[in-house]
Amino acid sequence: MIRRMAVRYYLYNKRLFKKYSFLLILCMVPLLVGGIRLLAKEESGIATIVLCLTDGEDELAARAVGELTEEEGVLRYLRCDKEEVARQMVAEGEADAAWIFTGDLSGSLKEAAAKKRVRPVVQVVERKDSVSLILSREILGAVLYPAFSYGVYEAYVREDLGLRDISEEELRQAYERTLVEGSLFQLAYLDGGQAVEEDFSYVQAPLRGILAVWLVLCGLAACLYFMQDEEQGVFSRTPAARRLPAAFGVCGVLLSDGAVVLLLACKLAGVFTLWQREVISCALFACATLAFCNLLRLLCKTPERLGSLALILTAGMLVLCPVFLNLQGFRAVKYLLPPYYYLLSIHNVRYLYGMVIYTAIVSVLCVLVFGWRNRSRIYRN
Amino acid sequence: MRKGIAYFHIQLKRVMKTFPRQAAVNLLVCLCVGVLAAVFLRDGILAGDSQKYRIGVVGDLSSSYLGFGITAIQSLDDSRFMIELVTMTEKEAEESFMRGELYAIVELPEGMMDAIESGRNDKPISYIASQGQKGIGTMVMGQIVDVASTLVTSSQSAIFGMQTLMLERGMQEEFWDATNRLNLLLIELVVNRSGLYEVEVLGIANGLSVEGYYFCSILLFLLLLSGIHNSQLFLHKRVDEPRFMKSRGVGAWSQVAGEYLAYLCLLLFCTALLFVPLSFCLEKELLTIPEWEGLGAEPLSGFLFALLPVMAMFAALQFLLYELVTGVVSGILLQFLCGLGMGYLSGFFYPAAFFPDSMERIGRLLPTGQALQYVDGSVAGEGNPRAACGVLLYLAVFLALSALVRRNKIGRG
Repeated sequence: MIRRMAVRYYLYNKRLFKKYSFLLILCMVPLLVGGIRLLAKEESGIATIVLCLTDGEDELAARAVGELTEEEGVLRYLRCDKEEVARQMVAEGEADAAWIFTGDLSGSLKEAAAKKRVRPVVQVVERKDSVSLILSREILGAVLYPAFSYGVYEAYVREDLGLRDISEEELRQAYERTLVEGSLFQLAYLDGGQAVEEDFSYVQAPLRGILAVWLVLCGLAACLYFMQDEEQGVFSRTPAARRLPAAFGVCGVLLSDGAVVLLLACKLAGVFTLWQREVISCALFACATLAFCNLLRLLCKTPERLGSLALILTAGMLVLCPVFLNLQGFRAVKYLLPPYYYLLSIHNVRYLYGMVIYTAIVSVLCVLVFGWRNRSRIYRN
Repeated sequence: MRKGIAYFHIQLKRVMKTFPRQAAVNLLVCLCVGVLAAVFLRDGILAGDSQKYRIGVVGDLSSSYLGFGITAIQSLDDSRFMIELVTMTEKEAEESFMRGELYAIVELPEGMMDAIESGRNDKPISYIASQGQKGIGTMVMGQIVDVASTLVTSSQSAIFGMQTLMLERGMQEEFWDATNRLNLLLIELVVNRSGLYEVEVLGIANGLSVEGYYFCSILLFLLLLSGIHNSQLFLHKRVDEPRFMKSRGVGAWSQVAGEYLAYLCLLLFCTALLFVPLSFCLEKELLTIPEWEGLGAEPLSGFLFALLPVMAMFAALQFLLYELVTGVVSGILLQFLCGLGMGYLSGFFYPAAFFPDSMERIGRLLPTGQALQYVDGSVAGEGNPRAACGVLLYLAVFLALSALVRRNKIGRG
């Protein structure tokens, strides 16, 4: 039995791989995502900020600029030393905003802190207000705040507490004794995994989702392929009652190839997690897709209808599954789409069980629809 | 020539038979996109008006500082209008998060405050913002919490530093009074932190508004992917048909021209049909594009005309892709890969400015990039002759390549 299945698997694959274009397309996927990963290594950001340091001597401003340019975040920083150039860059669209650190930043901050009042010490020039620039201003605030709060602390201790004779060194030591290095927060997942373990940028982030949608299209294409074969009489020797297992077999072969490519592409894209987790998720996803596409094949009846559904499905999956954005709402529709389970199962084992249940339900539906269609065909004849 | 025209007529008849189905699919896709956009926009507006992002806080909340901090955020900070912090158990939070009722979960580890008080950072606060792998939204959130972390750690260092100095000098009497006053002062400064910079907005838009940009991107993406549901038009052809037609005097160029023009007509009719509900939405202001504000559906006819070269180029691209491969599987997968790959690189999903320079340059050079620049220019009313030339050049190249591939097929037999 197993030997027979292996021979059939080999023969179906041989038939598919005879078409070089198919082989080429399978190879194209990892190459494409690998290329995007290579390109994504370069600097990128959701907004470009020009850091303009007019007084290079100012230690605090230089440190702030250094910290910003070195950190890995979602903003891209450029540097310049002339205010006019920075303004021009913003006006001409080379940058979205400019942060102009004019004159004596340390002195200005200290002065404001001594008065315990917030007052502008950096000039921000923006093209047009946007969400990404609101975020950028929060980052600027966080860069300025430590020095400012230290100034407030110093002024408070010296003036409000009356400890005017206290040395700068003593003040600094007391402050730094409890100063926490690094962020207090870390991004985590429901399964306890840490996001820092996954080192990829937002440019690579949608690749897994795109690959998942691609695998569903593989399943739909496999069903179309089966339907065409059926029309051409390739399965005329297979009894009508065994057509469903035959369809599962033919589509399963193609999906297994697609699943291997998906795993390889995830690895090359840099979004790969752990082998065990990835293999299990991918295998269950392929099974869910197989059942889903076959149910659609049975419901659509003709290749034309199934082909037409492909566009609607692609658009729906790209919007409703967390490919580019994880949008709230439409949960009932989301649960009908196999990529939704797969994309969430990477960090949540519940969705693995969800995929098993989903596959079982959809397979049962396939059997019911297939039986009903067969019966009505017999009655018609 | 006469045979070529006759061939085009036959192809047109064949292609137009599928028009009702194609039109229905296009309208359905349009309806789905419209409904989704309307719901998401409505949710966005609601969120802006009254709906808050609920964040579940779980874990060790025993420290009085934490309770104070949460109360301060809820009652003083600007974020109180957007964020609602809800304390709950881990299980409740997880279930609410999976039901989509919570935007994120913040988990405070046991002994975190003690660790911070002693200047250690070995018990970081975990925040869970996504069920799947991290994406652009969670990465942005990561930056926001880093900002919050800096504000908290700098403020607490100031307070602990002051307390240390007071204890060293035996100032126990005024200890709590001074602590409270500095706490309140720092909270006030944190709340007013935006005053540390002066913002000057030049008011120059980046070409198109967000609405205009995504209107163009979605439209182009749907046009580009229409090749997937048109697969049956290209793939049912018999392998020996081109040779047969050649023997009847219709050469490779005439075949490609006839089939391509027929397909272009179909695409044109389908797109024109899409513009009917679109013009209704613009007229009734159900859809607003700032560049066309106050003009109703008037700009649409001009836009449809401007879209013609792009439709022609995309039709030629789809035609070439189907010409290059044999079989339904390869055809559909290639259409999807090229459509989504090129669309992604050219900024159909994320604006191209989000990408690294080299990726942005490649994206702009691609057919999709040229098309997007050209269409963006049309919507903005600025025009983009360079991109228009690029579109026409790609159109010519795709058609020439299609004819060459067809000639090769005929030659090989």
